[in-house]
Amino acid sequence: MNDRIALIGLSLLLAACGARDRNDGADAQVRSLGTVEVTARLVEVPEGAVFHRDLYDYATILKYEVVAVHRGAVAAGATIFVGHYDPWKPRAEAADKRVQGIGGTVRRFRAGDLHRMALETPMDDVFMGGIVDKYFGKREGPAYWAVWTNEAN
Amino acid sequence: MSTHPASRFAVAAFAAVIAGVPVVDGTVDLARRVRPPVADLFTQPPTQANLRATEHAMEEGSAVARAVRPWMLAARFLGLRDGGDKVLRGRGGWLFYRPGAEYLTARPPAGGSMVNDALAAVRGFRDELDARGIRLMVVPVPNKESVYPDRTFRGGRPPAGALAPETAAFLSGCRRAGIPVVDLFAEFRIARAAGAPDLYLATDSHWTPAGLRIAVGEVARHLRAPAGPSAYAVLPAPVRRTGDLVRMLQSPAIEAAVGAEVVACERVVRAESGAPYADDPASDVLVIGDSFLRIYETDEPGGAGFIAHLARALGRPVASLVNDGGGATLVRQDLVRRPRLLEGKRVVVWAFVERDLRLAAEGWPVLALPDLPRRIE
Repeated sequence: MNDRIALIGLSLLLAACGARDRNDGADAQVRSLGTVEVTARLVEVPEGAVFHRDLYDYATILKYEVVAVHRGAVAAGATIFVGHYDPWKPRAEAADKRVQGIGGTVRRFRAGDLHRMALETPMDDVFMGGIVDKYFGKREGPAYWAVWTNEAN
Repeated sequence: MSTHPASRFAVAAFAAVIAGVPVVDGTVDLARRVRPPVADLFTQPPTQANLRATEHAMEEGSAVARAVRPWMLAARFLGLRDGGDKVLRGRGGWLFYRPGAEYLTARPPAGGSMVNDALAAVRGFRDELDARGIRLMVVPVPNKESVYPDRTFRGGRPPAGALAPETAAFLSGCRRAGIPVVDLFAEFRIARAAGAPDLYLATDSHWTPAGLRIAVGEVARHLRAPAGPSAYAVLPAPVRRTGDLVRMLQSPAIEAAVGAEVVACERVVRAESGAPYADDPASDVLVIGDSFLRIYETDEPGGAGFIAHLARALGRPVASLVNDGGGATLVRQDLVRRPRLLEGKRVVVWAFVERDLRLAAEGWPVLALPDLPRRIE
């Protein structure tokens, strides 16, 4: 009996953890920064793309499917590739001496999550540092640079 | 089962530690209105990638671990002389990068050697550049552990010609393929035998200004640098630097205990105006590589690294492309994205650290260079 109660309690706790209020991810920064603003679903996090690096700072290219376009010339449903700076850090802690003006509410990158992002393109014009691109040679077109990345659902 | 109070206390304390960490982490996450990572176990398909990501998130996101880890590391480092997975405490206060020491002493895991891939990538890069009329010069930069095995291991001896097997295979493979390769291993060995000052920093994995000067001299000699006075001069620019091997441990207590090193850098300036050295993207020499090119160049004091000193030795500015930790492949990918950097080039100098022959980020794929964009006259 006690086991059953504990199991129900644990299930309720986990359900509560998983439950989230409706959130379109909009805030002043995501609405104003960059030249493109989309809500997009993170398709996958490739193996070895996001991990805590000891010393060096990289941007990592992640693949998204655009769900809604709020600003800029991107087609809904399009696949886009977005560079996130030091993606192993919560977005609110990602800016540093080298890369400033980035941020957001996303704490970590999970496949399937929905992000509302303010983007800049082409990324190479904005970011001159190292890029980890698991899609190198397999994708076409310029990558986008994530200026602001908020959680949405 | 023992009912001794000490046993009960030990069991209770152990259980409290085991159960307390997730309770504290969960409470902190809920207070921040953040979903605990453990919830992902129930909201995402249990694929290998998802489970690894969740495990990683639990490790990195744990408030308890973040609070306790620096102190545990400090206790291990200062009390037990143990630098963990990344750092090896050598002799005389020197620190070493453990993967570099393992590169020297341990065989690669089965299928773990990348030397053949590296040779194929270098040959491919040479051929791509040849087709554009550009010469390639390869500069493998010795691991600190290869230059100072006597300070890495008890009973180690100064190197007398021995190389890590993968390095020896790579150097001979380059020579067989007719690829110009600068042998800094021999130059550093000769310099040590002649009593040169330290070529590497004691608490950092990179070279000192003395080490980089030898490397610059060798590369400039291969490039047939012109004799005579340079358009550049140098100014003393000493800096205090906390070594990367210290910072890697991410413990303020260790940083305070080890302290910073004073490094006698020399900043390169224009001789006639005193203006700081600046790259010229239109130069006929492109230098690409990893953090051995970045140290002192974009790090403090600036304009005092390999790139600026090579420019001084050549008497003209160079173009450069640097990717920390990505000298093998990421920097070549950067070059593919920025093909204009190849315009007007006669030589590409490619420097990467020796251990990349086993540990290169993203391996050693053969990359095709895009055609140079046509200029509209």
